Amino acid sequence: MQLSWSDEDEAFRRDLRAFLDEHCPPEARRGKDFMGEGVDGVPDWARAWQATLFDHGWMIPAYPPELGGRHATPTQTLLYLEELADQGIVRSVHFGGYAIVGPSLLEFGDEAQRALAPAAIRGDTVWCVGMSEPDAGSDLAALATRAVDDGDSFVVTGQKVWTSYAPFADMCFCYVRTDPEAPKHKGISVLLIDMASPGIEVRPLRHITGAVEFAEVFFDDVVVPKANLVGERNNGWRITMGSLAHERGGLWVEGVFGAHRALDGLIALARRRGLDADPVVRRRLGEAYEQVSSLRSLGYKGFAGFAQGSSAPEHSFMKLATSELRKQLFELGMDLCGPAGAVVDPARAEEDGRWWKGFFVALAGTIGGGTSEIQRNVVATRVLGLPRA
Amino acid sequence: MDFTLTDEQELLRDTARALATKECPPALVRAHADDPSVADALWRAHLRDWVALGSGSLVDLALFAEELGRVLAPGVFVPTAALFAPLVDEVGAPWADVASAVGAGSRSGTVALAGGDGVWDAGRLVDGPLRTWVLEADRVDTVAIVAADGPDSARIALVDASALEPRLVETLDTTRRAFEVAVPDDAFSGGHPVAEVSRTAVQRVIERATVVVAAELVGVARWLLDTSVAYAGERVQFDRPIGAFQGLQFKLVDMALDVERATAAVYAAAMASDAEVPERHRLVHVAKAAAGRAARHAARDGLQVHGGIGYTWEHDLHLYLRRAYAGDYLLGSATWHHDRLAGLLLG
Repeated sequence: MQLSWSDEDEAFRRDLRAFLDEHCPPEARRGKDFMGEGVDGVPDWARAWQATLFDHGWMIPAYPPELGGRHATPTQTLLYLEELADQGIVRSVHFGGYAIVGPSLLEFGDEAQRALAPAAIRGDTVWCVGMSEPDAGSDLAALATRAVDDGDSFVVTGQKVWTSYAPFADMCFCYVRTDPEAPKHKGISVLLIDMASPGIEVRPLRHITGAVEFAEVFFDDVVVPKANLVGERNNGWRITMGSLAHERGGLWVEGVFGAHRALDGLIALARRRGLDADPVVRRRLGEAYEQVSSLRSLGYKGFAGFAQGSSAPEHSFMKLATSELRKQLFELGMDLCGPAGAVVDPARAEEDGRWWKGFFVALAGTIGGGTSEIQRNVVATRVLGLPRA
Repeated sequence: MDFTLTDEQELLRDTARALATKECPPALVRAHADDPSVADALWRAHLRDWVALGSGSLVDLALFAEELGRVLAPGVFVPTAALFAPLVDEVGAPWADVASAVGAGSRSGTVALAGGDGVWDAGRLVDGPLRTWVLEADRVDTVAIVAADGPDSARIALVDASALEPRLVETLDTTRRAFEVAVPDDAFSGGHPVAEVSRTAVQRVIERATVVVAAELVGVARWLLDTSVAYAGERVQFDRPIGAFQGLQFKLVDMALDVERATAAVYAAAMASDAEVPERHRLVHVAKAAAGRAARHAARDGLQVHGGIGYTWEHDLHLYLRRAYAGDYLLGSATWHHDRLAGLLLG
């Protein structure tokens, strides 16, 4: 165990910093606190920035250059994620393509489908991912959107919901039911669906912050060529488990660094509002610091296991713990605003509504990507080895 | 921060675990409650061979202490390795002979530092006649009495334990003994070895001991977690193992999360202390707060998971519950460390 990384890894960090200093546009330095304002489309700066990252081998550093990387080691990938999080830089305004679709096509696709991966990672093609449905949330395998075999094509009918980026996506990486008779995990397939196909209707979905980030997507007899089936038919469930494996050891980084940023903000807020001598506020901030700091250490400890090839238990805890912590921190921020905690009027709210907005965004964090309850179920059975309920 | 254990660290941990499990069974821990001298045999036959860890890397000492905590090892090892040895080391050359005797395992010791308020803090050293929370004061060879001196300095006197009349203060914890010591009038004048060190040096020793106690608490918490998970998998009610009930599963998951966080926090504090980076002061507070909370949480909810059987004297769980709570209060409870953190964050 040691605090510092190798000279080679530190050199990697210096190269990255030099690149970011030179190329990163100011719009990409947005932190994560304020996400949740919605995206109407991919702005020009974001398109250019993602392409620049790709072309310089800084998009997915662990990948080879032709896929936007530079053969980075696991430790270097961690340093990369750290640096982006520390500077509050986003790589992309739509994560589906580079984080889910590209890697999945590379792992499960045929040759023609693998050829779609570079554009997905570079952001030239904007992808949405069709997973959740009205009756398939935590129980994703209950999805009912069906794809019926019609000779050379499938005909897709059904509804997706919470689909990020759907209003402006070019393509959809869509989970469909191809065998309604099979047990629910065994009748699922993945289709690549052109969002310009006749029969697709996208209805933007406004969420509690007031922003439009998601959409409902309706499929009505949408014809999809059979060549767009990814992997084997009825074997799509295992693709849900695939994502950016190279970065799995650092998925926690953004959450923990975001929590650190929130903590720094809480300290500044307490000072500004003259609460820094209040013993209750002091104790709550001390406790919050313990929570953030111990979680950061746990992330690094989990990474050490990941880098050695084990699926470390620390890992399973990170999503659960960071998302719950963010709720606490932003709620504390609202408390520190005093009577103005509930004020949204931008002229009167502290820091343009940072704390209530952050709290509202954090409320989604314990639901999306697997609820905290699902995370606890997973830890209970897979990490602690308790019997299934 | 790289948490990868070196081969030597893995070997140390595995050796410590095997040693602790074999040489410090529950029967010894229980016997110790009535007859503390049984811990002397454990010290003489085994633990004193490891006391040199007290003067080495804090990561190594923490790994060792975690395993001792897991078996609730009683006795003089922790006060000697975590307090006495580093304090003697801070004095340096004048006490080189003491240091070498300690390192060789031929001299045990403890440190008498906290005053009547029980607070271990180099900024609040006292000069009065009372020292509290002196661990194992009747079983060590030497007691190092620390007293306030100038605003930046402290005096230390080494007094033979046999020359003192320590008064046992009974606590919840039957596995670790704490004493009040009356400082003899001639402590700093009667020919006892006396030295002067900076308060910074004293604080370094306190922080070191704080990390060691936190590491022990992680071992305590891990035993409670492992034992509770195992019991939940075996105990059948309503025709199924109680560990299949989500109400219990969530309790155990939240316990486990606290234990994992505390483990990582303790190693981080140890690494930062070894590297002497400025962040270490914060990380030490984080480690002790996280470990104290995790141990109490694991004890409280571990007992609940065990139900009635965990409430019996016969089950070992209450021994761990006792150490968990007493260990949290020793060298500062979680809330005390939160307040100290606030001091570092907010001034």
